[in-house]
Amino acid sequence: MSVTLAILIGLATGAVFGFALEKSRVFEPGIIVGQMQLRTFLMLKIFLTAVVTGLVLLAVMNGVFGVALHLKPLVWRADVIGGLLLGAGIAFAGACPGTTLAQIGAGYKDAWFTLAGGIAGATFYGYFDVPIKAMFAESGEKVMMADIIGAPYWLVAIGFAAVLVVALFLLEGLRPWRDEVGTDHDGLGEDNAVETGSTAIGTAAR
Amino acid sequence: MLLLKDKAWSPYTAGIIIGLLQIPTFLLLNTALGASSSYVTVGAHLASIVDPAAVQVQYLAKHMEGAKSWWQVAIVLGIAIGAFVSMRLSGTRRQSISPVWSRAWGVTSLSARAPIAFGAGFLMLLGARIAGGCTSGHGISGMAQLSAGSTVAVAAMFAGGILAAMLFMRRV
Repeated sequence: MSVTLAILIGLATGAVFGFALEKSRVFEPGIIVGQMQLRTFLMLKIFLTAVVTGLVLLAVMNGVFGVALHLKPLVWRADVIGGLLLGAGIAFAGACPGTTLAQIGAGYKDAWFTLAGGIAGATFYGYFDVPIKAMFAESGEKVMMADIIGAPYWLVAIGFAAVLVVALFLLEGLRPWRDEVGTDHDGLGEDNAVETGSTAIGTAAR
Repeated sequence: MLLLKDKAWSPYTAGIIIGLLQIPTFLLLNTALGASSSYVTVGAHLASIVDPAAVQVQYLAKHMEGAKSWWQVAIVLGIAIGAFVSMRLSGTRRQSISPVWSRAWGVTSLSARAPIAFGAGFLMLLGARIAGGCTSGHGISGMAQLSAGSTVAVAAMFAGGILAAMLFMRRV
């Protein structure tokens, strides 16, 4: 595929992605921090819904049409250590690599610094990829969970999707999404503002 | 098109739309949705400006060329554009920094927030590239493909995020 066409498809895909991220408020630092403090669950809902959708689509694409899957290898140390660092970064940034750009689009100015730091961090890793991988000293196969139990991907995917849908129903019942959007749609409610008057600061800054 | 001017959509609507983006991604690009590789692509090109030897670093070099590398850069650029358009349609303009930082850290100014944001971004992408993916690559795509490695990475991601948010931030 030509680079130009790939870029055009990427822009269109990203635009829809960014639109959905903004509309759902999941790009809000208040929502991300709220999720990591287990106070709000909007992030988990969007995440799991996207996973369910992917599972169903891929069950058809792979199961019926033989479209290839693209798994990443199972490398324990890299996955655990990388994941922990990534998670901490997400909490402190109030964003993940994708939503950082949505924050920029929506008007948060600190997101530019998150972006710069992210580019620096990714580049830093690039220079030290060889010694870091040597330190982990592991290789990994692309392990797909359905293979472990010897079942076809599409079957386990549909089963897993069903389990997640039930979980989402329960979660929505316990924590309705409309309660978590926040007064200014930033995932922060007036009712749980700290007594120091942080709400007043927020209001004054608007 | 009143729906497009809404200030908040259901997470289920948004999640389905995001999941549907796997269709053009798998069928046209023969890959899965991701975001963190684009940071390497941009960083590698910027690094090569000040350090011509950057192209000899294999990890950087392999992210500098090809349709897939630039497709992902276009994705993240598109994310910014899409979010901007959405914000303009609904009028949910954001102020300089989110009020959450006042609650979490007593931070109320951009100048105070800037170094924290930079450090957080650094940590985020360092972790993502160590793990070989982020919430999109390992999360949305990896788990949808029943990838064991991605499941481990996502579990660690939530663990790291929860620990960081609970230990280092005031309750928002």
